[in-house]
Amino acid sequence: MEETIKQHYPEKEKNEIFNNEFLPHISSMYNFGYRLTLDRDDAKDLVQDTYLKAYRFIESFQKGTNAKAWLFRILKNSFINDYRKKTKEPSKVDYQEVEAYYNSEDVDRQITPDLRVESLKDMIGDEISNALNSLDVDFRTVIILCDLEGFKYEEMAKILDIPIGTVRSRLHRARNLLKEKLSEYAKSMGYKNTEL
Amino acid sequence: MSKLYNPFILSDGSKPSCMQMLQLILDGEASHEQQEYFKSHMDQCSPCFKSYSLDIKIKELLKTRCRGESAPIELIEQIKMQISQNMTS
Repeated sequence: MEETIKQHYPEKEKNEIFNNEFLPHISSMYNFGYRLTLDRDDAKDLVQDTYLKAYRFIESFQKGTNAKAWLFRILKNSFINDYRKKTKEPSKVDYQEVEAYYNSEDVDRQITPDLRVESLKDMIGDEISNALNSLDVDFRTVIILCDLEGFKYEEMAKILDIPIGTVRSRLHRARNLLKEKLSEYAKSMGYKNTEL
Repeated sequence: MSKLYNPFILSDGSKPSCMQMLQLILDGEASHEQQEYFKSHMDQCSPCFKSYSLDIKIKELLKTRCRGESAPIELIEQIKMQISQNMTS
């Protein structure tokens, strides 16, 4: 993922790497593409583009290393460089503000009073998925990487090209926003703020 | 509790908040020592205890409800076809 030494793989080995190390992640990649674009056709394009790039640059990949993180990084970059430019969706997040917030005393006062485990049990439809999709794409991304795909902070930092401290703060903020959204759903489903 | 060594304290001496500790625990980023400390901390900190159960549940819901859709078969075939075409061209 960092500056890597170029590998030299014979054609047969390239195909083996592609089939055995890259393709098994295709459903995770498709899901990532879908959660970023919120469109299944765009997700397909993004995944196809990612796999073609991965094959083209396969010699930058060291066999046996973290293929999933490498592929996710390519997809994320394609999304930012190609898809976002095309759709002209600017990033709306002021990260400096987020950082300042996270390091401030206020951080623990941010609570989501009326969200309880009990109210989550009734969210058997698309609530959680809709809540995730409603987040700004940069916040959505850290939740996808961490909670859906199980990446470690260090891997996320490499995929997103940000320091680990920023991974933590962005994740913290993203989760609070998600909880706010879930609270709204819980309220509309009839849960009152009966317990703090 | 206050006398107990806190393994979450950063190298600059600052003490992370409850929510910051909880996040490390939740994401499997805490050391064994930190996990042990947090377990006993939770016994005495009701907001941490409540948030812990809630956060675990949300994480579980995200994993079960927001993934699991397989990539379309035609997408895999298309990719394989494109690659073999590129190889021969």
